[in-house]
Amino acid sequence: MRILKSIIFILALMFSTTLSAQTITSVHGTVSDDMGPLMGAAIREMDANDRVQNSTITDLNGNFTMKIRSPKNKLKITYVGMADVVLPINKTTFKVMMKSKTTLKEVVKVGSKRMQGNTLPIPQRELSYATQTISMKEFEGLGINSVDEALQGRIAGLDIIGNSGNLGSGSTMRLRGASSLSTLTDANPLIVVDGNIREVNLDNFDMQGANDEKFAELLNINPEDIASITVLKDAAACAVYGSQGGNGVIELTTKRGTKGKPHVTYSLKLTGTYQPKGYDLLNGDDYTMMLKEAYFNPRQDDNASDGNAIPEINYLDNTSGFSEWRQYRDNTDWRDAVTQWGLRQNHYATITGGGDKASFRIGAGFDHETGTIIKQKLSRFSTRVNLDYNVSQRIRVSTNFSMTYTNNKRNYEELLPIALKKMPNMSIYEKNPLTGEDTDTYYNMLQSGDHIGSEVFKGDQRTYNNPVAVANLAQRNQRNYDMNPELVISYNLLGLDDEHWQLNWRGSVYMNISNGYNDAFFPQELVSKSWRDKVNTASSGSNKSVSFNTKQTLTLIPSFANKDHSMMMMGRFELTSGSSNSQSTSAYGLPSTGSVIVSPTAGMIDSPSSGFSQWRSMYYTFSAHYAYKGRYVADLTLRADGTTKFGPGNRWGYFPSASLKWIISDEPWMQKLKPVLSMLAIRPSWGLNGNQPGQNYLYTSKYGSSTPYIDMASMKPLNIRLSDLKWEKVQSYNFGIDVGLFDGKLNLTLEGYQSTRSDMLLGGYRIPSNSGFKDVPTHNNGKMRNTGWEFHINTARLIKKGKFSMDMNVNFGNNRNEILELDPNILDSKNSVYGYANGETLQRVQLHNPFGAIYGFKYLGVYQYNYNTFKNAVAGMTPDEIQAYWQKFRAEGKTAPVAVDANGNLILSGNNVPVRIRYDYRIDGTGHDQNFPGFNGGDAIYEDLNHDGQINALDITYLGSSLPKLTGGFGFSFNYGDWRLSTQFTYRVGNKIINKARLNAEAMVGNDNQSQAVNYRWRQEGDVTVIPRAMYGNTSNYNTLISDRFVEDGSYLRMSYAQLNYNVKKKYLTWIGLNRLSFYASINNPFVITKYSGVDPDIAFGGEAPATDNAQTPRSRSYTLGITVDF
Amino acid sequence: MKIMKKNYYRIISAVCAICSFTSCADFLEIKDQREIILEDFWNEKADVENIVTGCYSALQEDDARKRMMVWGEFRSDNIASGNNINNDINLFNVLKENITAKNTFTTWVNFYDVINRCNTVIKYAPEVAAKDPAYTEGDLKANMAEVVALRSLCYFYLIRTFRDVPFSREAFIDDDQKMDLPATPFKEVLNNIISDLESVKGDAVRRYPETKDRYQTGRITQDAIKAMLCEMYLWAGDYQKCIDYADEVIASKKQYAEEYDKKRRFTGDKSTIESRLNGYPLVYDNMTGNVYGDAYSTLFIETSRQFAAREVIFELNYDSDPAKNGKPNNGAISSYYGNERSEKGLVTASSYIDNEVKESKAKELFEKEKEVRDARCYTNYSPDNKSIVKLACKLIQIEAPAGSNPSYGISLYPENSNGSHWVIYRLADIMLLKAEALCEQMKAGNDDEDVAFNKPKLAEAFKLVNAINKRSILKNTLTDQDTIKAADYGSKLLMTQLVKRERQRELMFEGKRWFDLVRYAMRAGKTDEVVTAVGRRDDVNSQFAQNFFKKMDAIFWPYNYEELKVNHNLVQNPSFGSGESSSYEKTAK
Repeated sequence: MRILKSIIFILALMFSTTLSAQTITSVHGTVSDDMGPLMGAAIREMDANDRVQNSTITDLNGNFTMKIRSPKNKLKITYVGMADVVLPINKTTFKVMMKSKTTLKEVVKVGSKRMQGNTLPIPQRELSYATQTISMKEFEGLGINSVDEALQGRIAGLDIIGNSGNLGSGSTMRLRGASSLSTLTDANPLIVVDGNIREVNLDNFDMQGANDEKFAELLNINPEDIASITVLKDAAACAVYGSQGGNGVIELTTKRGTKGKPHVTYSLKLTGTYQPKGYDLLNGDDYTMMLKEAYFNPRQDDNASDGNAIPEINYLDNTSGFSEWRQYRDNTDWRDAVTQWGLRQNHYATITGGGDKASFRIGAGFDHETGTIIKQKLSRFSTRVNLDYNVSQRIRVSTNFSMTYTNNKRNYEELLPIALKKMPNMSIYEKNPLTGEDTDTYYNMLQSGDHIGSEVFKGDQRTYNNPVAVANLAQRNQRNYDMNPELVISYNLLGLDDEHWQLNWRGSVYMNISNGYNDAFFPQELVSKSWRDKVNTASSGSNKSVSFNTKQTLTLIPSFANKDHSMMMMGRFELTSGSSNSQSTSAYGLPSTGSVIVSPTAGMIDSPSSGFSQWRSMYYTFSAHYAYKGRYVADLTLRADGTTKFGPGNRWGYFPSASLKWIISDEPWMQKLKPVLSMLAIRPSWGLNGNQPGQNYLYTSKYGSSTPYIDMASMKPLNIRLSDLKWEKVQSYNFGIDVGLFDGKLNLTLEGYQSTRSDMLLGGYRIPSNSGFKDVPTHNNGKMRNTGWEFHINTARLIKKGKFSMDMNVNFGNNRNEILELDPNILDSKNSVYGYANGETLQRVQLHNPFGAIYGFKYLGVYQYNYNTFKNAVAGMTPDEIQAYWQKFRAEGKTAPVAVDANGNLILSGNNVPVRIRYDYRIDGTGHDQNFPGFNGGDAIYEDLNHDGQINALDITYLGSSLPKLTGGFGFSFNYGDWRLSTQFTYRVGNKIINKARLNAEAMVGNDNQSQAVNYRWRQEGDVTVIPRAMYGNTSNYNTLISDRFVEDGSYLRMSYAQLNYNVKKKYLTWIGLNRLSFYASINNPFVITKYSGVDPDIAFGGEAPATDNAQTPRSRSYTLGITVDF
Repeated sequence: MKIMKKNYYRIISAVCAICSFTSCADFLEIKDQREIILEDFWNEKADVENIVTGCYSALQEDDARKRMMVWGEFRSDNIASGNNINNDINLFNVLKENITAKNTFTTWVNFYDVINRCNTVIKYAPEVAAKDPAYTEGDLKANMAEVVALRSLCYFYLIRTFRDVPFSREAFIDDDQKMDLPATPFKEVLNNIISDLESVKGDAVRRYPETKDRYQTGRITQDAIKAMLCEMYLWAGDYQKCIDYADEVIASKKQYAEEYDKKRRFTGDKSTIESRLNGYPLVYDNMTGNVYGDAYSTLFIETSRQFAAREVIFELNYDSDPAKNGKPNNGAISSYYGNERSEKGLVTASSYIDNEVKESKAKELFEKEKEVRDARCYTNYSPDNKSIVKLACKLIQIEAPAGSNPSYGISLYPENSNGSHWVIYRLADIMLLKAEALCEQMKAGNDDEDVAFNKPKLAEAFKLVNAINKRSILKNTLTDQDTIKAADYGSKLLMTQLVKRERQRELMFEGKRWFDLVRYAMRAGKTDEVVTAVGRRDDVNSQFAQNFFKKMDAIFWPYNYEELKVNHNLVQNPSFGSGESSSYEKTAK
């Protein structure tokens, strides 16, 4: 047998040599492994580009025959479980022995995770700039709703604050501190999905709710689609984004298809949400009592609040002649009436799979959500298709398509603020005047006509709609379509591996199409006005935006004979063009009152408006990476940005950056420490970045229409053109240290940075008005510096014992900013002149000081006794007796509104009368309010810091800073077998907040409902309390000036989430054909530990104004149950 | 090596391919789609005309108009605070003479806006003439005269208010132009605007077509330019030029009136009117029946301006526009002088005027020793509802049957639809300016030579004043008893005082009084008259006024403090502090 075989072999050999001179047209042979012949092995003829030219499979005996096209091609033999064999076609007969993959000798392949995204594919280890990456694996199965939720507390230096708890509203993000003084430039970090920037530019877009939507772009990306998130922090990292990356960059990478059998995953999440309550509000009885006092106190007159003056708060009966008496005898909890448990369901299904040639991932999700405020409803359908097709080894085509459709049924107006203010003794439904029972009509306070009750409610309560009625009858629908198709072709022009020079071209075309529609209807049932007053209103608006982007990238990776050197270079050209337009129409007097939104065109058209904007930009990028011995790394990026926003001379901005890295731990002399210190590296970097204004056409002189004169149309020059306007520049330094301990079990990163903004783009710059114009919209001015540091730790299997393992992540950071230079006029305009009004914040922006300082009065409680009581008590005494009386009075802890000098003695006027404490009193009569007689019993005591016997702006003092000393987060995760528990916390320390929500809820100056704290108000002389008396009217009292009574510590520790996960063991699943089945339960935002008395200490702070809690809808709490199934 | 070479080719060709994308250099050039840009404008006649109209419409805006009223009159003895003045703290402070640099009425941007628009026209209109054959030389000249006149008028308002102001004939277009100009002295600005007007006075339109009946009074005419020159020369102290231009205006208006009467085939008794008005073409009452007040309705209220144009020289046009067609109404009058809703406006007549009007025997302002049957006691101001009748009302009727006391019926415009025109120059004004110039030419002495010199001037001045005075007497036929007598005003002093009184009562509430007082003070070099006038005010402490107005600077206004911050070349009027209250800055940490 053996002899026979060898004879055949020799013959074949001879045969082949004879034939080799001729062209080979077909091949044949056998394929076998060490067990014998293989049936069904695939034999393919591949050309130089790895394109299949011909193929066949082996028969029962492992034999094959195949025609071939060209002997220059290769044969590739594959079989499942076996290593592929590639042979040149230099003979006609093949005898192939295949080897099992598993028995292959272990080959050490030096490979590493590489940086993905828009830059060079640099190995993770060699990254020389400040980034932080989170894999979405960590969030798998978590009840998070959007990317920003996932990021909260995870990235050092990234401060994310939810704008409001309303459905579909986004959040504000600040990377490394407030970066801008101006509202003209966007301060949010750039969001990049798979290398594409989400750019929606809506100049002059005035649709209601646009603000909510603006940063909600992130919401249109389903978290389930995301593979990883990278936050680029320093200028060197952001350099490839040039001026667009001035505020930092958040890069999202979506999941792509993987080789293998089609794989279906379905996940379902059910979430229940509710709104934290906040202050307890007065009920109807307390409210009417409070209001009566508020009207009585300023005038000390019983008639001020009796049944004739204000019938609504006097519980009148049918004999009173007040037609609405039935409607004001209730105890309505308006807040309770408009809030509810919200329910959210998220369905998501993906199918992935692919082979050598092509791979795909298709995902589709449907979310449905009802809000924590009644009648809010949001549905969202999102889909993402990622296809990759390898045309050959060199050419690869990918197409990506994603679409999101959102239908957001909002409330016509924000209901919670109204519910908090609405008078609680009023009923929701109109009462039957005879029986007193609720009818099915909503009750509205009468707004016009004779005998409609007290005029005192004209400015407030009468203008508040019945929130329950608004929820049920009025409508505001918002629909958005967002589509992003992309086509990418990459072509490897030269070598395919590290042994050869590589030159790769990647071209992409990306579009962002976004359409929004906004319809609203407000029926006449909600107002009690006549048709003349424009009732039954509707409005309808739409906006469209299309942008187009193309990128052409060439990457050159030279291959050096000396393997100590490695290098990469990239050149890119990018072009963006887009336009958007919007229009809206509103109308009144619509014919129908049904629940369907009627087109505004059916009514009297009121105010049609439209907007259009256009933008274009061009970018050139050059980037180079060099590493010597893998431990000395240098990166260089140069970028040129061209934009339409500047005039011809200043159109191009050039932004270079450089960074270095030295991996000390790889030095030979460090090897001894390797078991402990697996990584030690330092990374200095420097970069220049820029910013452009948000407005277009600033450099052109424009003409527009003006009011007609007599019968002639008129026009006017609209602006002074800004030919000098130039790029805002941001220069930053970063120094980072990476430390890895115990073979990467514990990784620490420390970053310090300083970035200086110069030529800041500031708005509303005043110019001499003899030019005919008062100001120019934008101006380059000033210098500002952000300095800070960040620290983060994460672990990989920090503790592992048997089935148990534990991991943690910790990060914290601090940022401080300082204005270095600013035109004194601009500075001055940012510093308000104190207006002496209740609730007014004195704002100071000073050179060499950070923003957000809070100034106010010192609050010392409430005066127990009236001025006259004290004055009468000391009448007729000698000055010494009066002083003695005062010392005794004071020693007993009593207080009265009398002026005291620095030594604690009473100030007496000429005839031995104690001087009363007044409010901004000036002898020349130019003080704030000369009619205000001075403080009295029940009024707030403010500390008279300069002892001048009156309270004025000179008594205002520094009360704290809105800037936190430390922000950050930490989290732990525990694994035990198939169980996993993960938790995440966020915190902020050392910042102060002006609690204006509480100020308004305790002011008692108007007819709005107040918090239950006011039940402890001062009512009569001698009362010891911290809540002043009820005084109607904003100038009748000065009890709610900004003082330390309302400035609260905003430090908090919040549990962002806790989640318990269970994976069902595979062995239990195979019989039903499942690959994976996991269940989880999570709690989001379950508790906040804080001294802050408001609903939520998570108050946005940006720009120069101090952090102020204006009672926005707080972040809701939620409970989620979920299931994920893999088929 | 060969492979390497091949690679270089590939690299080079790939780089070239990429670069070819960038050949479109003007890719970054985009045009505003909503507004017209400079490069696309100034091509045809209509472009120029639209901007010229824009000059008027800027002047017509509420904020400019309010300043004409506040600057021109509200510091004078005619005005007191009215309803809800607390809501407008800036105005209240003006009335109290508590004017600081922070007061919003010290801002001047509205006037410089007009000036800049005018300068823009002057810069670009000649280019249009070169491009558009339909835009003739005559059109160009007329437009230029129009905008030069408007620019001069604005500067005239500014110097009468602030004395020295930044002066520029350059259009501001670009942010790199020098804008922080120092103030040009009063005299220099005045001379500049006089010479500007002299150079264009012949180019302006003389008569607008009859079909556009509101253009004749609502736009700049040769008469308007001459009226301006007349007043400017009076301020400059060139009295003969003032008189000459006044005569030219009077002659032109007389010709207009004659042509108009001919066209209308006026058949009434011309001689009665002639003798009543001493031959001046003033607007007059019909003098049939017992109802008067028509003359004032015609001057301020009538929509058709053909008849009014015999007297009105230049005015800003408004429409009451109850149908809300977007026509501008006179909101400044509505809020300041009163409307149907709150009869009394933010300001009203001072108690001094109130007393003068109410008393049956006049004390100071109206001529003494005779029963008051002066229509202006009723048309200026209503003591009943305290509104400023001649501008706040849409109907004025004075019933004055012989022998009994007059009664009147008025009806106010509704809020926000006041259609009264704002008259800037009318013949009565010019006549009184001429009378003032004549008085100034007179000699103060008592010797025969002086008396002889003064005599014709006295007669001429009296004729002018008498005509205006006689027009408003509530009688159809006049006797010597009813009219003022020349003999009573036989000296320079007496005549000067008469002219001043006549001016005050005739032009009351028309934004003239304070400027008159400023002119008197500048001429005299002292502020006595200002002190007397301010001393009559209800809102001002007279002791304070006496002290404050010792200095001449106090009669002008302070520059706005925002302006001083950005224009360091301006020096604040020394009578006014900077208005900054910086007291609390020290305590801030």
